Amino acid sequence: MKMAVIDPAENEVNKNIWIAVGTWRWVANDDNCGICRMAFDGCCPECKLPGDDCPLVWGECSHCFHIHCIVKWLNSQQVHQLCPMCRQDWKFKE
Amino acid sequence: MPLSNANKPVLHEQQRKDEEKLPKKRKLTDTVSSVNKRIKSGTEESTAMTESQKRANFSALPSPGSNGVHRHSSPLSNNKPGTTKKLVIKNLKEKPKVPENYQQETWGKLQEAVDAIHTSHAIKSSLEELYQAVGNMCSYKMSSTLYEQLKQTCENHVKSNIEQFLADNIGYEEFLKKIDTCWQSHCRQMIMIRSIFLFLDRTYVLQNSAILSIWDMGLDLFRTHIVGHHIVQNRTVDGLLQLIDRERTGEAVDRSRLKSLLRMLSDLQIYQEAFEKKFLEATDSLYRSEGQRLMEERDVPEYLLHVEMRLEEENERLLHYLDQSTKKLLVNLVEKQLLEQHISQILLKGLDQLLSENRTTDLCRMYTLFSRVKNGQKELCASFATYIKGTGRIIVLNVNNDPDKDKDMVQAILEFKDKIDNIISTCFGKNEQFVNAMRESFENFINARQNKPAEYIAKYVDSKLRAGNKEATEEELERLLDKIMVLFRFIHGKDVFEAFYKKDLAKRLLVGKSASVDAEKSMLSKLKQECGSGFTVKLEGMFKDMELSKDIMLAFKQSVQNEKTSKNIELTVNILTMGYWPTYTPMEVHLPGEMVKLQEVFKKFYLGKHSGRKLQWQPTLGHCVLKADFSGGMKELQVSLFQTLCLLLFNEGDVFSFEEIKQATAIEDSELRRTLQSLACGKARLLLKAPKGKDVENEDKFKFNDDFKHKLYRIKINQIQMKETQEENVSTTERVFQDRQYQVDAAIVRIMKTRKTLTHNLLISELYNQLKFPVKPADLKKRIESLIDRDYMERDKDNPNSYNYVA
Ligand SMILES: [Zn+2]
Ligand SMILES: [Zn+2]
Ligand SMILES: [Zn+2]
Repeated sequence: MKMAVIDPAENEVNKNIWIAVGTWRWVANDDNCGICRMAFDGCCPECKLPGDDCPLVWGECSHCFHIHCIVKWLNSQQVHQLCPMCRQDWKFKE
Repeated sequence: MPLSNANKPVLHEQQRKDEEKLPKKRKLTDTVSSVNKRIKSGTEESTAMTESQKRANFSALPSPGSNGVHRHSSPLSNNKPGTTKKLVIKNLKEKPKVPENYQQETWGKLQEAVDAIHTSHAIKSSLEELYQAVGNMCSYKMSSTLYEQLKQTCENHVKSNIEQFLADNIGYEEFLKKIDTCWQSHCRQMIMIRSIFLFLDRTYVLQNSAILSIWDMGLDLFRTHIVGHHIVQNRTVDGLLQLIDRERTGEAVDRSRLKSLLRMLSDLQIYQEAFEKKFLEATDSLYRSEGQRLMEERDVPEYLLHVEMRLEEENERLLHYLDQSTKKLLVNLVEKQLLEQHISQILLKGLDQLLSENRTTDLCRMYTLFSRVKNGQKELCASFATYIKGTGRIIVLNVNNDPDKDKDMVQAILEFKDKIDNIISTCFGKNEQFVNAMRESFENFINARQNKPAEYIAKYVDSKLRAGNKEATEEELERLLDKIMVLFRFIHGKDVFEAFYKKDLAKRLLVGKSASVDAEKSMLSKLKQECGSGFTVKLEGMFKDMELSKDIMLAFKQSVQNEKTSKNIELTVNILTMGYWPTYTPMEVHLPGEMVKLQEVFKKFYLGKHSGRKLQWQPTLGHCVLKADFSGGMKELQVSLFQTLCLLLFNEGDVFSFEEIKQATAIEDSELRRTLQSLACGKARLLLKAPKGKDVENEDKFKFNDDFKHKLYRIKINQIQMKETQEENVSTTERVFQDRQYQVDAAIVRIMKTRKTLTHNLLISELYNQLKFPVKPADLKKRIESLIDRDYMERDKDNPNSYNYVA
């Protein structure tokens, strides 16, 4: 008996098909956004959908926020653009 | 002239009869009939006369003030134009002297003619002579005497008729015949008399409003001396009532007699007081007892048929002999005694049966009949609603917990809805009131059981949207989805529906089992339309993930084209965004090295493209299409990833025990048992189990079934689902409840944040306005307590029934 799955047949048509499923989430150092207090797995209060529609961004200080939250925060800061968590100068990572 | 209108039809009938029965008097009746026609056209002419015509007539008259002949150009002169006209003019012109005994002689001639008419003898004088005699007497101002003499003669004659009606030994039919004959003769005679005395009628009578026309004078005499006599009147009315009563029991009676005599009463203006009152009383008591009796004896459809028949019969009666003025009272009476009195009894006794047996004809009849009486529709509608609720509850509650019934619940509700809709449109005239009652009742019974109907509706949609659902064309499917949406609209806990719908949609998308993308999109847009985009945004996200995954796979295949990955396996990955999809519990399993390597290559590629993310594999959702080589030939197997892992093991050995497989694959115990069951105990047995048996035991041994045979090339091995579904089911429902808790908390905080201070009752009522799912007040109280514990709010120190927001 032989299972074709390890049969070294080079025939493309005869290949076994594997349909796998993966889920992705953000790699963040916290569960919640420090600005809006919503979960990173969810979205900011302005959005309806988490994920690509409401992405996260990281600062050089390694703090991370919803992009919509930090942009709003930075726009409200007149003089210095500081990270709301550690009060260091905010710079987008990369 | 109060009676003149009522006379007209009688005159015509009278004439017709005269012409038929009395050929020897043709000459006279011919004249009479043409005179009658003249009477009418004459009056019309006089009013329609042009100025010049009037003037012409004036000029023809020697003394304008004489007696108003000019206003009523004589019907006789019209009858024989030229000659008669000349005659009148000549008479008036010459103003001859009146002979001594002129009045007496002339009247004698006239009286002789009247007597002849009364006794049905031939008139000696010619009609022309008689007309002229009347005309002359009127011209010589003898009108009043002439009128009195005529009246006296008629009175004597009418009076002489009474005796025949007072005899004792006379049956009622005989009596009716007699009085009818007498009346007919009276009318006939009066018509003839009037035609002779027409000139008198048109001059003297017209000028004196206190004096009755000759016709009315005749009626007055007949009323006073014949029908006004109480014995005659009682006998007449009683006879009529007996005749009608016999007709109501189904006998054929002489309707023309009834018609003639009732017409007589109308003409004599005693129809109402002498007849109608008694008639209605008799009708009332007849139908009162009939209604009570038949409600006992007959079933409802029969009874309604009978009522319908009775109403038709009474209408016939109105058409054939009763006076139209009786219509409203009579019909109301029948409706009241046969229907109105029995409405609740009819509904109680028969409605449920008619509805459940779908007897549309009987229901139509019930609706039509009930619409005739006060509150009929209202009561019918209320009972209809009660029936829908009761029947619906039986479907939904499934008190015996019959799993088959639960499975068929949605189909049963849809069929019930179709049936009820059909009844409303074909039997209840699409009445808005009934449509609303139907909606309320459906909403009521569907929500009589918590969560389950929502869950089953979601599952029903899944069964229709899943591939392999062959029963419907696209249009049929579309129509079915619309019907489902109607049920969906009734459901209070739409979040339960959403959770189950989402779970099933995920399966359809991930296992590629969706029947049609168009149908999926259509359902989505229906849900969006019904509940707004907030409801469907995550479902749409799921579709978006599927699209994105296709793009990712294209890019992945290009990037690995030249690299050595796997010769045997073609990998496709669906990447799901957490938060759109149902929550899946991750499970670690051991994959063969080649698969692990392939997975790693993909992961590296993906994370290289998307920084800041981590990827979690979901082996429970994976599935494969394997090419397997049996002694009987190649087969293509559609299997889950777990089934794949078990099968692949047999490339490395012949026999494995349960424990060995468990160790090698690391699949969770109960999951593994189910997987092996599906491979070794189902219809298509790819593995052989020793010892044989339905359940998988720890000591069982498994062997690859090399002799596996199947008529198909492509074989789907179903996972054993039962227990899994139950677990899934519970966790899906639990997640819905947890989600509701969050929503309650968020709503409380939102309200308190804006209002700062609120009493308990006001807070609860605001919450009910905002929350879109059913909650008990006790549960709301628990959430409030919990928020107080977590310092989101506090009880007011002075008023324990009031809360303050804590910033
Ligand atoms: Zn945020
Ligand atoms: Zn956002
Ligand atoms: Zn920082």
